[in-house]
Amino acid sequence: MSTTFRLRISTPDGLIFDDEVTSFKARMIDGDVGILANHTNYVSAVGAGEAVIHQADGQTRKAACIGGMLSVISNEAHLIATTFEWADDIDLERAMRAKERAEQRLAEAKDDAREVTLATAKLRRALVRIGVKS
Amino acid sequence: MAGASMKDIKLRIKSVQSTMQITKAMELVASSKLRKAKLRQESCRPYHEELKRALLEIEASTNDFSSVYQQRREVRKTCMIVIAGDRGLAGGYNSNIFKAVSELGSREELCILPIGKRAVEFFTRHGYEVLSSSFMEAATISVADCFSISEMLTQGYRDGQFDCVKVLYTKLVSLLSQVPDTMELLPLAAGEEKPAPAVRELVLYEPGADAVYNAIVPNYIAGMLYGAMCESVASELAARRTAMDAASKNAAEMIDDLSLRYNRARQGAITQEITEIVAGAEQ
Repeated sequence: MSTTFRLRISTPDGLIFDDEVTSFKARMIDGDVGILANHTNYVSAVGAGEAVIHQADGQTRKAACIGGMLSVISNEAHLIATTFEWADDIDLERAMRAKERAEQRLAEAKDDAREVTLATAKLRRALVRIGVKS
Repeated sequence: MAGASMKDIKLRIKSVQSTMQITKAMELVASSKLRKAKLRQESCRPYHEELKRALLEIEASTNDFSSVYQQRREVRKTCMIVIAGDRGLAGGYNSNIFKAVSELGSREELCILPIGKRAVEFFTRHGYEVLSSSFMEAATISVADCFSISEMLTQGYRDGQFDCVKVLYTKLVSLLSQVPDTMELLPLAAGEEKPAPAVRELVLYEPGADAVYNAIVPNYIAGMLYGAMCESVASELAARRTAMDAASKNAAEMIDDLSLRYNRARQGAITQEITEIVAGAEQ
């Protein structure tokens, strides 16, 4: 039985990864999930966290992966992510700035429930990016 | 006198020429941007199509499935997202959209989320109920903006702020024809095109079919919205290109006409001068 499987990653900006991998790990809405070859058919919604891909050629790549859906159907995985940024592409300074801005917004918007939700989401995104990069 | 009118005509030709330069440049800019916009529109399509397939599969695979996003309720308030441009000079692009709004129903039943400077201005001026006027720039709206809009909409829908969410955008039929179109986002059209129920594979949904479904819906809405945005932007550019092309042609025609008049005036002046000289010599 083969130990690799095909993984496709698409975002609203198009297909950004399509290759054979040996394992794939990402954060779903109910915790981290790792996928190996010959996984059972599986569908789940993606949370916010780090994604790790072990490619068939031995390379390991990390990325920030937020929102979307992961499906594994007949040994083919398809990740449809809202945001998917390779660790190399993350701008740490920008993420830091975004974090500060979000914290400030959160402090200002004490009673406004909608404002709090938006700021929390922004803060979480920034933290995920910073976590992946460092 | 003939001389003064010659000068007038020359000035007019000059001004028409510089207008033509501007319209030509705008046309070129619009067509190069249009190419990019069309590419963007095509690359985002797989995203929401894939999500839609997943939603349909979840609906089909579980019998006693129900979600707040899919139940139809009596429509008292409709949230309409209207996508228009940031600038004018795009033929009938903006006015076609606004005309389509007035055909949608009474003002009390509508709650508008305008996108684009023109749309924001139009709806605030006409006293519509506006959900948020912070999306002034349609051309540079990002995926992240679409997600915050989607978050806002799904939240409002769940809270019963409105019972139906539609988007009014401009469909790019071809480079020469763009028509306003509405698309229903919520409630999700259930049972429209179910995937073939033949031999279905069993799928494990974690943490559960309902939870996955409800988590995917906001993403799907955002994807749809982003797709509509991209298409509208492409339509705007196509409309602008056509309008500017027509304007350039018009200007060229005017210049031809004016040059003819200029030459006639010049000829007239020369003839008059000769007549005067000849008349003077005969005396």
